[in-house]
Amino acid sequence: MIVLRGITKRYRAGEETISVLRGIDLTIEDGEFVSIMGPSGSGKSTLMHILGCLDLPTGGSYELDGMEVAKRSKRELAELRSQYIGFVFQNFHLLPRMTALRNVELPMMYAGVPRTKRRQRATELLYEVGLGDRVRHLPTALSGGQKQRVAIARALANSPRLLLADEPTGALDQATGSEIMTLFSDLHQSGMTIVLITHDPSVAAYAKRTIVLVDGSIVGEEVRE
Amino acid sequence: MNFGEMFMSAMASLLANKLRSFLTMLGILIGVASIISIVAVGNGGKRAVVNALSNGQTTNTIQILPKELVVPGLPQPGQVLSVSQADLDIAQQFSGVERVDYTITGQTNVTAGTHTINASIDAGPDYLNTLAQFQVIKGHMFQASDVVAARPVVLLSNTLAGKLFGSGNPVGGIVTIGGTPFQVIGVTASQQVNLFSLFLGSDYAYMPATTCQNLFPTWGITEMDVQTRPGVNQDELANHIVTALNVNAGDANAFETSTGFLTTVESTINRVTSILTLVIGAIAGIALLVGGVGVMNIMLVSVTERTQEIGIRMSLGATRTAILLQFLMESVMITAIGGLVGILLGTGVGVAVSAITHVPTFVQWPVVVFSFLFSAVIGVVCGLYPANKAARLNPIDALRYE
Repeated sequence: MIVLRGITKRYRAGEETISVLRGIDLTIEDGEFVSIMGPSGSGKSTLMHILGCLDLPTGGSYELDGMEVAKRSKRELAELRSQYIGFVFQNFHLLPRMTALRNVELPMMYAGVPRTKRRQRATELLYEVGLGDRVRHLPTALSGGQKQRVAIARALANSPRLLLADEPTGALDQATGSEIMTLFSDLHQSGMTIVLITHDPSVAAYAKRTIVLVDGSIVGEEVRE
Repeated sequence: MNFGEMFMSAMASLLANKLRSFLTMLGILIGVASIISIVAVGNGGKRAVVNALSNGQTTNTIQILPKELVVPGLPQPGQVLSVSQADLDIAQQFSGVERVDYTITGQTNVTAGTHTINASIDAGPDYLNTLAQFQVIKGHMFQASDVVAARPVVLLSNTLAGKLFGSGNPVGGIVTIGGTPFQVIGVTASQQVNLFSLFLGSDYAYMPATTCQNLFPTWGITEMDVQTRPGVNQDELANHIVTALNVNAGDANAFETSTGFLTTVESTINRVTSILTLVIGAIAGIALLVGGVGVMNIMLVSVTERTQEIGIRMSLGATRTAILLQFLMESVMITAIGGLVGILLGTGVGVAVSAITHVPTFVQWPVVVFSFLFSAVIGVVCGLYPANKAARLNPIDALRYE
């Protein structure tokens, strides 16, 4: 379970202080599929960075699985990312010189999973996302949709408690985008907690709950059945 | 992430930029290769000279030489340049002395038929332990009676015999030395590595000392060989004789023993090689420094180029330490491989020098190990700043970097 209470984030830009998040209160239950919508500059990326333990809030409290994250060291944040968080990015962010298999193995390598076990799990994950025949391919030999599937397999490698996706269909065409969204829906069906950041209402609609963020504050919430 | 995986990952990264990695290695490679080869050649040469000199050391002979011959330079006024008959007589008077011989060294033309070669002439007794390097390979050595009678007989070195007689048998032939015909009675092996070949070349002739004295009365006796009786304290006797000779010469530094001679030569060689080593070492040090700066520069470029990769790795759970070690590993591998190739290249240069000059080279393990470790340390020192820069990147900024 994720509990955010009064999360604020301020940056200093020269003399000025810019408030990007102005007191976010949000609870996400285990197994929920939540989308966060908002125009650019609304603070949704910053919110995702904080949720993904890439950044610390200026104020407030962030409870992840009962642990307080807001006051952690950089090393502890890296460990939290390794064990609890899986990232899926708009531009896939695969390492170009590594095969699909190696890319999926990478988070397990940092988590200290032994080689054979790692290789086996990475192969299984690639089969699960439908890339069983692309295991040895380099990212350059894969289509956009295939790259995003590798990225999803990689995000799932350490069995994270939270899957964070930042505009996962942003660089894909309509058809491929909906394939990827179907994959997210399937993952949600199997019990994965997913937080999706998007500015596209049709993508946000795949989630059961949509949070609308404007100017660093939550201004609306929609729950679907 | 264990060491083996870090190694493989760094290797993959270096192989992705083969030319760049190689060029970066070059500075370290050249630095290490020059250190290894210079030390190998220097040590080999020193050993060769010292071995050649100590070959003549035997248990029952003391060699005494005028010191001026040992330390080349301008003769001091009154400095003794050669051994005189009086000196030989002084040595003969000591009770522990069995017999006193002497050798003469000079340089003159040797003629056989139409061939004339300028060769070194060594003259001495019929048998001397110190002349063990004169291995007779054809014919025979002259007899004691030849020395007494001052007969014109000579042994030629293998190379000299070849130059004078071609492929024909020189033994029994006639050569003219100083206007006198000599009968060639034997051929000695021309050793390529001994003191004589190093300083005088491998063309030499050996004749009875008496014959040489009659023919070239102006040549001085260069060495006194004192054979001692069994059970005599040689060092003590040698000191007594040298002291007596010095008193006679009126100069406390006129003579010294071959042990002293060896020590002097060795310390002279050491002085020369240590100066050489220092100079080359300084040049190699500069090469290594420049190489290290090159490594640091390329690592900084690499960190900048791979900023996004660093961000991705961090988002996947890489700690700062993991990023730091990744880049440090790459930098150490560049310098360590450079060092390793440099060691091989330096050894190769040493072997080549040895093949050309016939002076054996001697690669010392401590130098090899030190060079390797030193190049690895350069990798750590020069990689630390770039690796730390990578590790301190903010994951969010790094991810956004294009």
